[in-house]
Amino acid sequence: MAEESKESRSQARLAAAAERKALAEAAAKKARKSRVLVSLAVISPILLVVIVGVSISLVKSKVDSTVAAPSVASKVDGYGLVFNDTAKPQIDVWEDFQCPACKTFEDANGAQVRELAQNGKARVVYHALSFLGAESVILANASACSADEGKFLDFHDYLFKNQKPENSGYWGLSRLTAAGVAVGLNQSTFEACVKSGKYAKWVENIAADGAKSNVNQTPTVLINGKEIDRNAGAYIDTALFKKALADAGVK
Amino acid sequence: MSVGVNFHARHHLGVNLLALLARAILGGALLVAGALKAFHPYQAAAAVRAYELLPVSVANPVGYALPWIEIGVGLILILGLYIRLGALLGAGMMLIFIIGVGSAWARGLSIDCGCFGGGGAVDPSKTAYASEIARDVLFFACGAFLLWRPGTRWSLDSLGSGRITLDLYEEESETDEKER
Repeated sequence: MAEESKESRSQARLAAAAERKALAEAAAKKARKSRVLVSLAVISPILLVVIVGVSISLVKSKVDSTVAAPSVASKVDGYGLVFNDTAKPQIDVWEDFQCPACKTFEDANGAQVRELAQNGKARVVYHALSFLGAESVILANASACSADEGKFLDFHDYLFKNQKPENSGYWGLSRLTAAGVAVGLNQSTFEACVKSGKYAKWVENIAADGAKSNVNQTPTVLINGKEIDRNAGAYIDTALFKKALADAGVK
Repeated sequence: MSVGVNFHARHHLGVNLLALLARAILGGALLVAGALKAFHPYQAAAAVRAYELLPVSVANPVGYALPWIEIGVGLILILGLYIRLGALLGAGMMLIFIIGVGSAWARGLSIDCGCFGGGGAVDPSKTAYASEIARDVLFFACGAFLLWRPGTRWSLDSLGSGRITLDLYEEESETDEKER
């Protein structure tokens, strides 16, 4: 009797233990399931954001040859605006209309570059970069609009002479239109072009080409594909820049 | 490593607080850094090119993708789901950044690290390599701490079983229970 009850008690204990174990396992399984659901619910949107973001950036960085571009823009020059297609040497000017260092370059050497462009003494290619934000895109687009009427150089100089703090909101439609009128652009045509962002995609193309061409900063100025000597101060020293031009055969 | 078993437990409030702080610092930094750059892809790419460590054709996609990856890892850490995975990725990225900035410094380049937007060449007097590296070391330390002791309080990792799961600790903790 005593033996039997001992045996049945130990059996009951075992059964209870097995039941507890089964319950615990079921609970753990349920918990795991809910965790998987939570994980999926949280991780999927995060992954989605990352994948969509990366994809958009990668797609945007492709140069799109179908976009509207001003007539003097040259595909082989990364959509830069070309002056004197057959002249030599070639001078590439990469600038952002909002960048203060570009204004410094323009103040020191802009007139020299302009003279070459105007008088056919070099093949000058202007690339309007737009690193500095939305207002850079607006201004680059407007510069393309001015090129439509053959006033790019005037408008370009006007924007640098009247440069404002970055993304200050100064260059609204009315001020930009007034700037265009000031350099002799047709008010309604120019205003419409600025307002619609007619060449905004072209601005993207230039940015994408700048990335491919390893242009890491503004201003970047190349003479025959070689950057002028930044460390020596060629960007800010008028005489040094003149010498660099002369060395490249500019008369 | 049986120390890991009870990390979610109430006894370790201090560790859990430190882990939360580490997640906030590393995750927050990654999220902010990514968000500041994500919508300026061309600048981000230029910042990567400026290190002159990768060929242009590689540096550009890295520049376009990196901000979004930073956002993803930042979110993982802040929400606290797969903390150790996030910590591993975050610490790994910081290690790469430290090496990148250090190598730019050693090669005498004059660039901004481009960590929180910006980037590219700067005037030699405006480089800040030491403080950039110090900052990244702090972030790396947060990641390393989380790898060691992820904590799980105030995190999505504490949901479900209430125990750290889907990482190395789970199996160990079960073994420990059997041993007991």
